[in-house]
Amino acid sequence: MNIVTRIWGTLISRPPFYVMAIFLLFMLLVPFLTDDLYLIGVLVLANVYAIFASSWDILSGYSGKENFGHTLFIGAGAYGAAYLNLYLGVPPMLNLLLCGLIGAVFGVLIGIPCLPLVGPYLALATMAAASIAERLTMILSKYTGGEEGLYGLDPITDGPVGDYYLSLILVIITTIILMAIGYSKQGLILRSIKEDETASEAAGINTTRYKLVAFAISAFFAGMGGAFYAHYQMYTGPSSLSIIMAVTIIIVCMIGGMGTIVGPVLAAYMLTVSNEFLRSIGDLRLLVYTGLLVVIVLFLPRGVFTVILERLPRFGQKSRGV
Amino acid sequence: MVALEILIYGAVLSGIYALLAVGFALIFGVARVINLTHGAFYMLGAYITYALSVLLNVPLILSIIGGMAIVFLLAICLDRFIIERIRTTMINVLITTLALSLFADQVILQIFGPDNRNIPAVISDRVTLLGVDIAGQRLLSLIISVAVIATLWLIITRTRMGNALLATAQDPEAAQLMGINTGRMFMITMGIAAMMAALAGGIVGSFLTVAPEMGMLPIIKAFSIVILGGLGSIGGSIIAALLIGYLETIVAYLISFNATELVPLVVIFITLIFRPAGIFGKRRGF
Amino acid sequence: MTKDGLEIRAVTKTFEGLTALSDVTFSLEDGKIMGIIGPNGAGKTTLFNVISGFLRADQGQMVYHGKDISSLKPHQVVDLGMARTFQIVRPFKSMSVFENTIVAALSPRSRRSRPKGVKSDETAMNVLGRVALDHKRDEPVSNLPMGDLRRLEIARALATYPQFILLDEPFSGLSLKEMDALAGLIRNLLDEKCTILIIEHKLKILMSLAPRILVLDYGKVLADGTPAEIADNESVIRAYLGRRGHAGVDTTN
Repeated sequence: MNIVTRIWGTLISRPPFYVMAIFLLFMLLVPFLTDDLYLIGVLVLANVYAIFASSWDILSGYSGKENFGHTLFIGAGAYGAAYLNLYLGVPPMLNLLLCGLIGAVFGVLIGIPCLPLVGPYLALATMAAASIAERLTMILSKYTGGEEGLYGLDPITDGPVGDYYLSLILVIITTIILMAIGYSKQGLILRSIKEDETASEAAGINTTRYKLVAFAISAFFAGMGGAFYAHYQMYTGPSSLSIIMAVTIIIVCMIGGMGTIVGPVLAAYMLTVSNEFLRSIGDLRLLVYTGLLVVIVLFLPRGVFTVILERLPRFGQKSRGV
Repeated sequence: MVALEILIYGAVLSGIYALLAVGFALIFGVARVINLTHGAFYMLGAYITYALSVLLNVPLILSIIGGMAIVFLLAICLDRFIIERIRTTMINVLITTLALSLFADQVILQIFGPDNRNIPAVISDRVTLLGVDIAGQRLLSLIISVAVIATLWLIITRTRMGNALLATAQDPEAAQLMGINTGRMFMITMGIAAMMAALAGGIVGSFLTVAPEMGMLPIIKAFSIVILGGLGSIGGSIIAALLIGYLETIVAYLISFNATELVPLVVIFITLIFRPAGIFGKRRGF
Repeated sequence: MTKDGLEIRAVTKTFEGLTALSDVTFSLEDGKIMGIIGPNGAGKTTLFNVISGFLRADQGQMVYHGKDISSLKPHQVVDLGMARTFQIVRPFKSMSVFENTIVAALSPRSRRSRPKGVKSDETAMNVLGRVALDHKRDEPVSNLPMGDLRRLEIARALATYPQFILLDEPFSGLSLKEMDALAGLIRNLLDEKCTILIIEHKLKILMSLAPRILVLDYGKVLADGTPAEIADNESVIRAYLGRRGHAGVDTTN
C-alpha cells in the first residue's frame, strides 16, 4: 500500500510524470476509438520516433553530448535484427532485446573514442561514424543488399493493431526507464555535465563513466527501436542510417524540449501526425520540421513542451527530492 | 601516366574543396559560427546557374555571377535574421543550419525534381596538360579556385577591410571598441564565403553531378577539411583540402571509385579522435 | 618527509614555450593553512590546476599522503580528499542551489565518507547550512549575487568531505560581513584538522588567517615564510614595487 501511495504521490507532484501517464493511457485507447488502419499505421511510426527521440535525449539532451549520428545505433539494431532473423532464425521478440544489446555495444564502441570530444568535434565525429556505416552498406552490398536493403524479415505481430500495441508498450517501457533515470540523481549528474563538466569533475564525479553509461543506454533503446522498425516493415535499408533521419530526430527533440524526455516524446507524436495530414501536398516533412525548428530556436529555445510543463500545477505534497 | 593523371585531377578536386573549405573556415574564424548551410549555397549556386543559363538562356558567365549574387543575398538574410540571434549556442547553430540546408534540398527537389542536371561548360574543349587529356572546364575551375583564394588572401592581408576582419577574428570585443562594426563584419564574411560556394557550384556543374542533395557530402567534407586544418585557419584549410582532394583521387584510381567517399570519412574520424585540434591547429576552437 | 600532508617537488609546467610554473617545491603538513600570493600571471591558478588534476605537470612530483597524485584525474584527486574551488565561480547555472550541492554529495567520496544512514540530501543540506545558504536552497543559482556564488563553490567542495581544500580567491567579491563569515568558516575547518591552501590577493585577511605564505613570481617560488618574513623580503618587495605595488587578480585560469 505504501509503495502505491508513494508512486501516486510522485506522479501527481511532477507535471512531466502525470502528463506522460495521461498521454500514454489515452494512446492505449486509440484502437477503440478508430478503425482507420492508416491512422494506426501513422501512430506506429510516431511510436517508433518517440523511442528514437527519447533515447537521443537521455544522452544528448541531458549530458549535452550532442550526437549527430544516432542513426548508427538505430541502423545497428535494424541490420542486426535482419541478420539474426534471416540467417539464424531468431524470433522478432527476442531480437528486440538482442538488438538493444547490439546497439549498446555500438554505443560503447563509439562512446569511448568520442568521449573527450566536445561541441562541433563531437558532432562531426558522430556524423562521420554514421556516414561511414551508411557508405559501408553500399560498398558491402553483397552482404547488406546495398541500396535495396534486406527483405523478408518476420513480421513481429499478426497485424496493424498488434504492431500498434507492441510499439506503444515499447514506448511505455522506454519512457518509464528513461524518465526514471532522467529525473533521478543520475539524471542530475548528467545535467551537471552539460552545464559545466569541469565543475562536475571538481565535485568528484567521474564524468567519463557517466557519459559512457549514457551512451550505452541511449544506444540500447535506439537499437531496440531500430529492430522493431525493421520487423515492422519486414525490411531494412540504408535510409535507417541516413543523416536526414539523424537530423530529424534532433529536430524533434529540440522542438519538444531537450533534456525532458516528455518533450521529445510528445513532439514525435505531434510532428509525425501533423506531417501525415500534410502529406496530400507532397512530402513536406522536412519543410515543416525546419520551419518549426527555426521558429522554436528563435522564440522558444527551450522547446514547446518544456515551457508548457513548467506552467502546469504540481499536486499534493511538494516533493523534497531532486 | 596514372601518376600525372592523379596529380592533375587531384589538383582540380582539391581546388574545389579549398574553395568551399576556405569560405567555411573564414566564417568560423571571424564569426565563430559553424555554418552548415554552406553546402546548400554550393548547391544553390549550381541550380541558379542552371536555371538562368539553360532555362532562361542568360549567357553562362552572367548566370554564374547571378547565382553568386542571389546566394550572397540569401546568406546575408540568413545571417541577419537567424544566425545573428542564435550565434552563442553552438548546437542551435549546427542543427538549424543543417536543417536549413536539408530544407533547401527539399525546395530544389520540389522545383526541379530528383534528376541530375547539366550546366554547360564555359570552355567546352578538352585540353592536354602534361600529356593528360582533361576537360577545359576542369582546368578552368582549378585556375578560378586558385585565383579566388589568392584574391581573398590579398584582401585579408592588404586592405582596410581585411584588417577589420582580422581584428574581429582575434577579439570581437576589442574590435568593437576600436569602432569596427563586428555585426557587419560577420555579415560580410558570410556573404563572401557564400559567394565562393556558389561560384564553386556554378563552375563544377559541367563535370560533377548537379542534384538536390549534391551539397550534403561536400559540407561534411568542408567541415572535415576545416577541422583537419585547425578550425578557423585558412592556410591549414588549404593544406587539408589538398590532402582530402588527393586522397580521394588516389583512392578512386588505385582502389575503387566506391571507396572514395569512405576513405576521407575514416581519416576524419581517426584524426578527430587522436588529434582533435586538427593536423596543424595548435589550439582547439572550443 | 613523513606520509602526511602534501609534498610538491620541482613541478614545472609550460604552455607553448611560456613557463607558467618553474621548479615549484614546497610541502604542507596536515591541518595547516598556507596562503599563496603573487602578481598577475605568476602561476597561482596554474599551480591549483596542476595539483587538482585539471592540468598535467611537465615535470616534477606531487605526493599526497604518500600517494603520487601527478597523473590523477580531477575526480580521483577529489576521491583522495582534496577539493577545490574556482576563482571564476562555476555553478551549474540551470540548477537550484540545492541541486548544485547535491551533485558533489553524490560523488563516491561523499557517499563513502558520510555516516551510515545519512543520505545525500542531508549531506547537501548540512553543508549549505555551514555556508549559510540553506534558506536559499530552492533558488535557481542564476538569481544569486556573487557572495552567495562564492559560498556555493565552497559548499560544493565541502560536500565531498575533503581533508584538504584549495581555495582560489574565495574572498573576492564579498562584502565585509561576508568576509568575516567566511574567515570564521575557514577557522572552523582548520579546527576540524582540514588542510587549506588559499590563493588570495586581499593580503590583510590572508595574513590574519595564514601563518605561512608562499610567494610566486613568474612561476617560481620567490619566498616561503611567515607574513613578517615575507613583508621584509627584498625580492618580494622588488617584485611588487615593480608592478604598482600590489598583487593583482590573477586572471589566468
